[in-house]
Amino acid sequence: MRISTSTFYNESVTSMNQVQSNIAQTTQQLATGRKILSPADDPAGAARASELTQADTANTQFGANRIAATNTLSLADGVLQSVTNLILDVKDVSTAAASSLSAADRKAMAADVQGRMQQLMGLANSQDGTGNYLFSGAQGNTQPFVATVAGVVYQGDDVQHKVQAAASRQIPVTDSGADIFMRIRNGNGTFNAAPAGGNTGDSTVSQGVVTNVASYTGQSYQLTFAVAAGVTTYSITDTTAGAPVALAPPVTNVPYVSGQAISVNGIQFEVKGAPANGDVFNVAPSTNQSIFDTLNKLVATLNTPIPSGSPMANANYRQGLSDAFNALDQGLNSVLGTRATMGARLRELDALNVSGDEMGLQYKSTLSRIQDTDYSKAISELTQQQMVLTAAQKSFSQVSKMSLFDYL
Amino acid sequence: MGSGIYSIGVSALKVAQAGISVTSHNIANANTPGYTRQEILQSAALPQNTGAGFFGQGADVTSVKRNYDEFLSAQVGEAQTRSSNLNTQYALSQQVSNLLGDPNGGLTPALQDFFGSINTVANAPESIAARQTMIGSAQSLSNRLQSLDSRLTEIRNGLNGQITNSTASINSYAKQIAVLNDNIVRAQALSGPNQAPNDLLDQRDQLLTQLSQEIRVSSVKQPDGSMDVFIGNGQSLVIGKQASSLQAVSSPTDQSALEVVYVNDKGVSRIQQSALQGGNLGGYLTFRQSMLDPAQNALGRLAISVADTFNQQYQQGIDLSGALGGAFFSSGAPTATAATSNVGNSVVSATINSTNALSGNDYTLSFDGTNYNLMDATSGTAIQSFTATQLATPQVVIGTGITLQRTAGTVTDVAGDSFLIRPTATGARDFKLAVTDPAKIAAGNPVRANAPLTNLSTAVIAQPTVTSGLPLNVNLQQPITLTFTSASTYTVTGTGAPGGAQTLPAGGAISINGWTTQITGTPAAGDTFTVGTNTNSSTDSTNVLKLAQLQTTNTMMHGTASYQGAYGQLISQVGTQTRELSVTSTAQTSMLAQVTKSQQSVSGVNLDEEAANLLRYQQAYQAAAKAMAIAQSMFDTVLKMGG
Repeated sequence: MRISTSTFYNESVTSMNQVQSNIAQTTQQLATGRKILSPADDPAGAARASELTQADTANTQFGANRIAATNTLSLADGVLQSVTNLILDVKDVSTAAASSLSAADRKAMAADVQGRMQQLMGLANSQDGTGNYLFSGAQGNTQPFVATVAGVVYQGDDVQHKVQAAASRQIPVTDSGADIFMRIRNGNGTFNAAPAGGNTGDSTVSQGVVTNVASYTGQSYQLTFAVAAGVTTYSITDTTAGAPVALAPPVTNVPYVSGQAISVNGIQFEVKGAPANGDVFNVAPSTNQSIFDTLNKLVATLNTPIPSGSPMANANYRQGLSDAFNALDQGLNSVLGTRATMGARLRELDALNVSGDEMGLQYKSTLSRIQDTDYSKAISELTQQQMVLTAAQKSFSQVSKMSLFDYL
Repeated sequence: MGSGIYSIGVSALKVAQAGISVTSHNIANANTPGYTRQEILQSAALPQNTGAGFFGQGADVTSVKRNYDEFLSAQVGEAQTRSSNLNTQYALSQQVSNLLGDPNGGLTPALQDFFGSINTVANAPESIAARQTMIGSAQSLSNRLQSLDSRLTEIRNGLNGQITNSTASINSYAKQIAVLNDNIVRAQALSGPNQAPNDLLDQRDQLLTQLSQEIRVSSVKQPDGSMDVFIGNGQSLVIGKQASSLQAVSSPTDQSALEVVYVNDKGVSRIQQSALQGGNLGGYLTFRQSMLDPAQNALGRLAISVADTFNQQYQQGIDLSGALGGAFFSSGAPTATAATSNVGNSVVSATINSTNALSGNDYTLSFDGTNYNLMDATSGTAIQSFTATQLATPQVVIGTGITLQRTAGTVTDVAGDSFLIRPTATGARDFKLAVTDPAKIAAGNPVRANAPLTNLSTAVIAQPTVTSGLPLNVNLQQPITLTFTSASTYTVTGTGAPGGAQTLPAGGAISINGWTTQITGTPAAGDTFTVGTNTNSSTDSTNVLKLAQLQTTNTMMHGTASYQGAYGQLISQVGTQTRELSVTSTAQTSMLAQVTKSQQSVSGVNLDEEAANLLRYQQAYQAAAKAMAIAQSMFDTVLKMGG
């Protein structure tokens, strides 16, 4: 084939240009560390990489969210740890107060519990590092617990602040203060047995138990004692609807033995001591009694003077202490229950951290496979391209020297 | 006899001189683009008949011929038009592909930062700093979308300039070809049909090759030596010494785009743009239609979808002051432009009814005298047909996500009137952040449920969620009280409350006034639950968490793609097109090199060959001179005899 002189020059230049542009591409891959310099290099890879990058950054973001969640939960758990200790301390006080004490000792104890009350208020109104109340639901700026004439009231709400801890998991990081401190059932959690206000005898009532869940559906009962000729008997009426209604079969004038279980419609409780004629005990479904109320009642009990020779005052004192002890137990259960769910959430966060880290590694390694330069491959390519360029330059300079005109 | 030898010698000298002259001409033009190697055609002169036979009378140059192969030259022209077309498209698509796919400069990082900042707000909804970060990253998202769009618009404006330049070049080549036609016809008339004006022909062929770089042409040679050139669907660009021209004018339906019209002595006429193929001009037009417009539309669709879906969720939340969210972003609205050539002056308006269904295509609504027919602007596929009566009220176009309406003008539409509808073209350009006050970010739930502490049971009410969608129920935040009359029956009081006794369904879900809540546990008779405005909810992250989840929700393309997924598709589409162009343009370039090499192997100058020719003609010259010297010495011998 005839080769025109300009074809020879053009082709040599074109091929050298081509090799040089390949070298530039490889050099850029080496310098940037990226294999895909433009989506055109690997369209499917580029699209996949953009989606993986999103998954990876989202995963990293979830990790940051989990750290924030762990911090808040740990903070709240620390506060509730103090609350637990406080309740245990007060329980000790209520136990100690049961042994016969002087009026002065009781006063001192009342002052101690009063101090604990202030401390509890402080704990329940704890704030996080940025000034948000920990236990006010979603109303971070509202002080949740405020002492009023009617007792401590809750001003927050029941909304939990949630955090996106993983792609499909939102974890609550706050708990409603009402759930922890306010919604505590009095009595045994189902019903509450208590002496009526005007009792004159020396008797107390236990918190009782539910013996048949199906039978007790929230009725109220009234237990009335009668003392006639030295014989104490009791009668029970149903006061659910307000006015007393006789039970069927009627429970009237049952002989009373101190400490013997009294059963009615699936519940059971004991009255101890010597009730006076006309003494009344009421059984009603449990209602909420806040820990603050419990402490306030304990303070009131401790502060109530016990005149000597007053069986009624003595009975009230013992009833007050035992109620406080029960209520403190219920409160403790509430706090510990909350701490248990917090612990479960913290454990879940830990588990999510592990899986999140693993996913992050996977995303990164997949991403790297798709878009990162394979250095050994790129360097060997570069060496090859350099060789080709050198050969092209050498052959061009050699061949271009060959001209017939040199011999004329 | 003796004078015969002289004249033979002279003829040989002349031929050798001609040979050296043509060889020198070849050497001189070795690097002239389009030059075709020439050579002399020599033949023996007519012999003289004597009694002793025919004696030769020397040699003659009969013609100077150019080594031209019409078939190969046509191939070069075609390869050239394809190659420059693909190279132009490739260079332009690389710009788009690099712009959108840049891991740092594309949309991906801005989108991810934005959703990252939403999560920051969800972690600390009350933090003004976190909220400020969200505003900032939303601002950068809007800046990024706008700057990507404006870069695409720059490319579009650049195209307009390039189209103008290209038509100017075409016009100039056409004129030069017309002039050369004239010169060639005159020269040919003088020299007769057997002698060609080689260098003029080369110039004209070179101009045709250059013209092929701009646009695909076909040419027909006429017997008088002139060449007619045609473009497009057979529009004549050059006929003899008459040249027509092309002109770039604003498109009748899109003032921002230039299109090419044909101008001859009869006036201006429109040509189908898709008929203008090949060459740079074809490359510009194809690139604009097949990559730039779709890319800009896809980006606009993404912007519109982000704005719309984000706003929808945003409006279902409340800000720090308790006010319901408004619009967080605003984005461009569809455009519907009446063609400037329309006779009627009715106005068509287009709105979006579902961002999820948007395709990113443009549509043409054209009137055929009876009906208005909507078709895809690119493919021409018919979509739906409307009567004028139908279009007087808003019409949802099935499967496109847009709604059309036409307002009749004072002048009635005539058949052929058309409108260009671009649903998403301005989406990204007009994507703006509408909220600047961090406290105004609607992070909280508009409603909240509460169970009073006096409730006897331990039944729990879940926080209500807004389930009505938009528009929000007017009574959404009205206080509602649920009072249970038994474990499963309740009454509702409050504005918008259903009257009468209600029964709690299994599962405990209750929906009133556009919200839904759930009661778990067994309520006791007399228990109450309230739902009302979520006042003071500075640390409520309910709505902002839902906003964050939009990142991975498939809200686009009929529920098949998330924002990032849709952007990934755009990258992959643009990347695939560019890659295809890279491959085909490389192939076409080497094809051109091959064809050019073949053509040059016939027509190109090889300097070694010319050197050999120089020697050949030099020796012929020397030999002829020697023959004349011998003739002279013979003559001298005869003269000496006389002395």
